[in-house]
Amino acid sequence: MGKKLVIDPVTRIEGHGKVTVQLDDDNNIIGARLHVVEFRGFEKFVQGHPYWEAPMLLQRICGICFVSHHLCGAKVLDDMIGVGYAQDVQMLPTPEKVRRLGHYFQQLQSHVTAYYYLIAPEMIFGMDAAPEKRNVLGLIEENPEMVKRVVALRKWGQEGIKLVFGKKMHGIASVPGGVNHNISKEDIQRFLKGDDGLLDIDTVITYASEALDVFYKFHEENREQVDRFADVPALNMCLVDEDGNIDYYHGKIRITDEDKNIVEEFDYHEYMDYFAEATEEWSYMKFPYLKKYGRERGSVRVGPLARVNVTKAYGAATPLAQAALEKFHDYSHGKASNKTLHTNWARAIEILHSAELIKNLLHDPDLQKEELKMTPSKDKWTGEGIGVVEAPRGTLLHHYKADKEGNITFCNLVVSTTQNNTVMNRTVLAVAEEYLGGQQEITEGMMNAIEVGIRAYDPCLSCATHATSGNMPLDVRVLDSKGNIIDSKKR
Amino acid sequence: MTAKNDKSLRDFFESFNTSDSLIYGIGNIGREDDGLGWAFVDWIEESAICPEAELVRSYQLHLEDADLISYKKRVLFIDASKKEDIESFYLSKVKAKMDFTFTSHAISVQSVMAICKQCFTSTPAVYLLEIRGYQWELSVGLSAKANKNLEEVLEYFALTQIFYKEGEYDG
Repeated sequence: MGKKLVIDPVTRIEGHGKVTVQLDDDNNIIGARLHVVEFRGFEKFVQGHPYWEAPMLLQRICGICFVSHHLCGAKVLDDMIGVGYAQDVQMLPTPEKVRRLGHYFQQLQSHVTAYYYLIAPEMIFGMDAAPEKRNVLGLIEENPEMVKRVVALRKWGQEGIKLVFGKKMHGIASVPGGVNHNISKEDIQRFLKGDDGLLDIDTVITYASEALDVFYKFHEENREQVDRFADVPALNMCLVDEDGNIDYYHGKIRITDEDKNIVEEFDYHEYMDYFAEATEEWSYMKFPYLKKYGRERGSVRVGPLARVNVTKAYGAATPLAQAALEKFHDYSHGKASNKTLHTNWARAIEILHSAELIKNLLHDPDLQKEELKMTPSKDKWTGEGIGVVEAPRGTLLHHYKADKEGNITFCNLVVSTTQNNTVMNRTVLAVAEEYLGGQQEITEGMMNAIEVGIRAYDPCLSCATHATSGNMPLDVRVLDSKGNIIDSKKR
Repeated sequence: MTAKNDKSLRDFFESFNTSDSLIYGIGNIGREDDGLGWAFVDWIEESAICPEAELVRSYQLHLEDADLISYKKRVLFIDASKKEDIESFYLSKVKAKMDFTFTSHAISVQSVMAICKQCFTSTPAVYLLEIRGYQWELSVGLSAKANKNLEEVLEYFALTQIFYKEGEYDG
């Protein structure tokens, strides 16, 4: 008699993910799935609104990576009014740099949130530690000084977002063709030199480096577990600059294989020519894949691990991040890493990279210049645009169309969590085989192992990610082939 | 509820009109009565009753709020409540307590205080004002009953500040 094991996180915020593991009569794993049962409908309800409202409305999809949605939408609007990259008209330097600054601030604070609030407790206390200890509150008891630094780091990121967008959450800076303000010298000095309760940039970089130390220590002490945990194949995808290295704001889409060979590289406006989306009746989330390679081989990984896999070098302008990247590449022997927990390593590298990128931009006098936007003539109106940015979780795409009056008639969003759908399912299966296969009883450690695998991607499934690790409500059930509950565990 | 003669809240009747005071509304104005916390802060701002105090509106509390309150002497959090035993509003002085309600999206007032004490070695006087709400759907605007509760609490708060000014409060 076969069995089905269900892990169903419950959350008080929108939507949640659910995991089912199918066992045979001998408790061997015969299947595992990550179901996403949330539905938001943003693509529908934005229709009929004026096109310029889209970046304001659509950023409300998320309370964590709203800046990415805002900027992605802004790039679409640039296209629509005829100043975007699709028209081969480059954005003015000041607005592009202001947008980039906000983007890097958000990446820093988003990664710090995921890394320290959700993931670090497992690295510091271990995956099998008691739930009441394995959370950020446990960290506070254990090391209040470290948490104080984390709070200061995240606060710095949030204040940076406020500097650029006017608010810590859901603010506005981008307008079609540019931005609505530049950044004053006085504000720049606050972030460079520090202010009352605000860190200076060099301290930010020091604290960012400490995130890497947390990973190195964990890796040193748990090398076999970290490297063996959910080693799952996928192509790697991100935006790249002209040298083929990560560009979080703009560039071409590059996809590489395990040997770092370029599988595809194209202008992101051609995304739909290259990708198809499969659907499954058990999930609202689609499964994108490269048409040319089919669903099995053509599925991609996006986010921190994909980006450090694709990138050859950050360059001399960000020396500490460059050194960290080289160490990562050396460890992977020049090949792409498919090790799920190396995503946390990559995330720590990107915290440092973001901090160094911000430092460089804060010294850039273009931020104070007055040319803030381009306003092309009405005959340049295209009525359609595509924007892509690298959100903290990976490649994010917005695509809108509008009628002659400028009201939106079509909207399609391909978010990074969707891009990672297949590789997350592969991760769940790999972890289930390793930790649950052949076992007679479901333990807390088994449930957490599944969560750890999902959490590495920091997906926007709300509860699977944004509940603290030791406190995620779970309902795990083992069902027989007739649907009868034969074992269950709740927390 | 009335707190005028509640000795445990006696110190609430000091002025919030100082730069080391914080008045912090929690909620979501897009969810009907969940906007009560922000509505209270709106009123404080419009009436200029405490122009020196720092005013904050947020969807929920975060870990960073422990840092924020560490710089303050007196803090008032205002949140909408579903508790049926609250007739219109309830004011309480909060004690620091680490609990397990933490997510990266939200954290309790008690935990924020505990983190403030543990990480920042600061213990401001913290009060929580819960205002009873009734409707929580996707819509902007308070229900009539919630509005009535808001009016009651505004009158009460205004009185506490007047009592302080005129030295009339004797506990």
